[in-house]
Amino acid sequence: MNDAQLLRYSRHILLPQIDIEGQERLLAARALIIGAGGLGSPAALYLAAAGIGTVVLADGDTVDLTNLQRQILHRTDSVGKTKVLSGQNTLATVNPECGVIALHERLSGERLASEVAQADVVLDCCDNFATRHDVNRACVEAHKPLVSGAAIRFDGQVSVFDASRTDSPCYHCLFPEGDDANEERCAITGIFAPITGIVGATQAAEALKLLIGCGESLAGRLLLLDGLAMEWRSIRVRRDPECTVCGSRSDA
Amino acid sequence: MATVEFAAAIQRHVACPIQQVTAPTVRRALAAALLGRDELRGYILDDQGRLRKHVAIFVDGAMIRDRRNLGDPVADGSEVFVVQALSGG
Repeated sequence: MNDAQLLRYSRHILLPQIDIEGQERLLAARALIIGAGGLGSPAALYLAAAGIGTVVLADGDTVDLTNLQRQILHRTDSVGKTKVLSGQNTLATVNPECGVIALHERLSGERLASEVAQADVVLDCCDNFATRHDVNRACVEAHKPLVSGAAIRFDGQVSVFDASRTDSPCYHCLFPEGDDANEERCAITGIFAPITGIVGATQAAEALKLLIGCGESLAGRLLLLDGLAMEWRSIRVRRDPECTVCGSRSDA
Repeated sequence: MATVEFAAAIQRHVACPIQQVTAPTVRRALAAALLGRDELRGYILDDQGRLRKHVAIFVDGAMIRDRRNLGDPVADGSEVFVVQALSGG
């Protein structure tokens, strides 16, 4: 790190759990963020500000006026632009040292596998179950940690599914893939704006901890946020030895 | 007596207060809690009585082991907590 970087990241470096070594890990890290909406916005802002070396933003959508109530990566003059280019522009103003790769696509198949394989951590900030299961499978196959968040109405969920750990469940262990999933979308049911901020910022914190190697991650725990009562609940999630996604891992 | 509680995200879909039940297993506890609550039952279980994929159940803070038959034991004083997957982002 040069002098400007030592100053810029000094409040991180002051923390003994991070120090120069931890900050250098962040500067060398690559994070893949699936979705540049309500959750991806705060997550990307915190990762970029914190000094992540490369943020890969993947989203196939464009910015809509109705997004601006909560998707704080985007500005009024971004309406109509792709979310990833809008996000790239915003992040450049927050921290020009952070390299942002904008992928205007809904990653799947080999493209998803390739991006996950290149990442040090993956943040699932998407808005549908099909992508959540695709991303989970890719992370299990590549043994990459997945920081998963979701939000609707006044409620949020966040967890870590760390395929690099033998004791960590995957998303499919918790919610098996099925065609009976009740898919609720923010566009239909509504979403209280700060819920996405709280959950997305929590995802950023977990991603940074994983990259630095400090603290205890949420692997094996699911946090539930009731935003109306403003209460968090933590419940223990165990690995399913019969899971069709991770159960066949040699370390199952 | 054990309690059966549905997560806030489910409550916003179908209101259901915390239920007091006497049951030896999760299946029996769920059946008692869902008695006369057809809308909620259809949201939690499919027409074969199987747990829907987007739903997970926890007893005393830990995920159950037997999703298929819901045979995990429920003790006197246990807390059964029903959670649904959220997909919004």
